[in-house]
Amino acid sequence: MSDIDIHHLAAAYALDALDARERAAFEAHYPSCDVCRADVLDFRSTLAVVAEAEAVAPPPDLRRRVLDEIAQTRQLSPHLPSGVTDLAERRRRRQRTAATVVAAAAAAGLFTAGALIMNGGDSPAYATELAKVLDQSDARLVTLDGGGDGRVRIAWSGGAERAVLLADDLPEAPDGMAYELWLIDEQGPVPMNVLDRADGGEIRDAIVIDGDAESEPTAWGITLEPAAGSASPTGDILYAATV
Amino acid sequence: MDAAATEDPLTALLRRAGRGDQAAFAELYDALSPLVHGVVLKVVRDPAQSEEVAQEVFVELWRLAARFDETRGSVTSWVATVAHRRAIDRVRSEQSSRDRVARQVSNVGRDYDHVSEDVESKFDRVRVRRALERLTGVQREAVELAYFGGHTYREVAVLLEVAEGTVKTRIRDGMIRLRDELGGAA
Repeated sequence: MSDIDIHHLAAAYALDALDARERAAFEAHYPSCDVCRADVLDFRSTLAVVAEAEAVAPPPDLRRRVLDEIAQTRQLSPHLPSGVTDLAERRRRRQRTAATVVAAAAAAGLFTAGALIMNGGDSPAYATELAKVLDQSDARLVTLDGGGDGRVRIAWSGGAERAVLLADDLPEAPDGMAYELWLIDEQGPVPMNVLDRADGGEIRDAIVIDGDAESEPTAWGITLEPAAGSASPTGDILYAATV
Repeated sequence: MDAAATEDPLTALLRRAGRGDQAAFAELYDALSPLVHGVVLKVVRDPAQSEEVAQEVFVELWRLAARFDETRGSVTSWVATVAHRRAIDRVRSEQSSRDRVARQVSNVGRDYDHVSEDVESKFDRVRVRRALERLTGVQREAVELAYFGGHTYREVAVLLEVAEGTVKTRIRDGMIRLRDELGGAA
């Protein structure tokens, strides 16, 4: 979908008239687009007027059922007021990730000019990392299902605390957005890395699975997020594999 | 649109609900359940299923209460969005497009009885009906098939036997005109 097209989807989006993929793409786009954000806000408020005109009182006993159920339902915590904390955590994580891998590579005598392929500044040599992962007895390999566009594979080893992601023909992320990889365990999604997509849609990224992911992954997923990354997924899952 | 000089009483209730105040949530329920139930019923049609979906909507509102962001619209607008989305999810998961197409065609434009009869809501109904009448026939048809019919614009294009781009344009132009006529909810 071209950038021009996407600006014309605000009305259809507000009407919930996009299919799942377009909805995901638009949700990835509009928070960072002033025009679309304003359009969505306006159209939703207009539709609230339309909805109000359809008001029909529900049967009286629905009230009791709702109040009974909410009394037994945990509420979600609020979002933190800004992304500052999340971003600081992400920066720490990324520095730690890069530093750990670089240190490991150096210790193994691999820290030569040819041993590190830098994808976007802080990705270590995927080939070396991939070989390391595949050498482990607990190495696993899955292909993420993305409904047609591109191909994403992940190899990982809990023993080596490493994952290597190989993506090909990934569609370009909208301006200001980036793909983000999530390890999903029993606690929910753990942010792994913002993926630096090269021209042609290729990503070769090695990631340290650090102490945050205490249990084995039950699934992997990729979403579109604001380019700085998110602490928890905000976009729809575009690529996923259960383990 | 109104400047947010005076805080919407619903916003205050929602904030209290977000801190676990069930009494505040009950007040919100009283204020918003006709809207939620009405929009769900309009999309889902089946009364028993609509009740279920309305209940799901309120439980979701309860769960998400602390995450309401007033910079992204009023409480009413948020609630209508959540309710409509839930209703859409229900019809898309439960019915094949073909079933809905067949039923929707015979239902467009049909009037529904409304329980609430106070003057204010009657006024709103008339205002909305007038605004919808200001759309061209094809705009109104596309907007209603999407919003009340629960169809994607691609499905609307199939229904109307016109190009997808044409439907996108009708929807967009229709929504812009509707916005100009109606503005937004308080």
